[in-house]
Amino acid sequence: MPDTLRFSVPGKPEYVGTIRMAVSCLANTVGFDIDAIEDIKVAVSEACTNVVCHSGGLTQLFEVYCEVGEDRLTVSVIDKGSGYDVSQYKQPCLNTPKEGGLGLFIIKALMDEVDIVSEVGSGTRIRMIKYTR
Amino acid sequence: MKLEVEKSFDQTNRRWTIIPNGEIDVATVAVFRGLLDEAFQEHKGDFIIDLKDLCYMDSTGLGVIIGAYGRIKEKGFSLSVQNPRDNIMKLLRITNLDKILCPEHQA
Repeated sequence: MPDTLRFSVPGKPEYVGTIRMAVSCLANTVGFDIDAIEDIKVAVSEACTNVVCHSGGLTQLFEVYCEVGEDRLTVSVIDKGSGYDVSQYKQPCLNTPKEGGLGLFIIKALMDEVDIVSEVGSGTRIRMIKYTR
Repeated sequence: MKLEVEKSFDQTNRRWTIIPNGEIDVATVAVFRGLLDEAFQEHKGDFIIDLKDLCYMDSTGLGVIIGAYGRIKEKGFSLSVQNPRDNIMKLLRITNLDKILCPEHQA
């Protein structure tokens, strides 16, 4: 069984930085290099920002689970917000940049594996894996 | 970490220099957005956003910069980003925003 750290976080903007710092400390402890720690930091922040901004105001608390595997760190960000239809997600067009919609794109670019399960009315889970090389 | 923003307007060149210091994320981005909008209302001109003192930014900050870039360009002025740290340069590269925001990197 991998070691798991669980954080229960109020769905407010001011705590996103706290989780970012906590997870980056953990990534450092696990032995990731600075570049990988930066990637994890941004990806976790983006996932938490999505919860805070897009869960429809329904999220009072959301959960962040960090599993320390032998060769990986897995971070899951889980909310019980309004959820969305994942199949409707459109990758942003990078030739005509817009203000929003970059969060998931950035998470996918920075982490080694990402999967998203979301159900309208039930919430969303983003699971992200970074491998130690 | 908090965000503090220094701003100054060069009358001769009609150019703002904006220097955010700290972190731009979902908690601090509204301050940054407000400041850019107020500055542009106060004096229409070009914008240089100097990121030398910014240690963290994510899509929230990039979004505000893209929005401001569009509004400023629409009025015939320019906005560019200078001196991003490696972590922020990486985000600019993967989103392709370096091509429009960092002209000095386009050798």
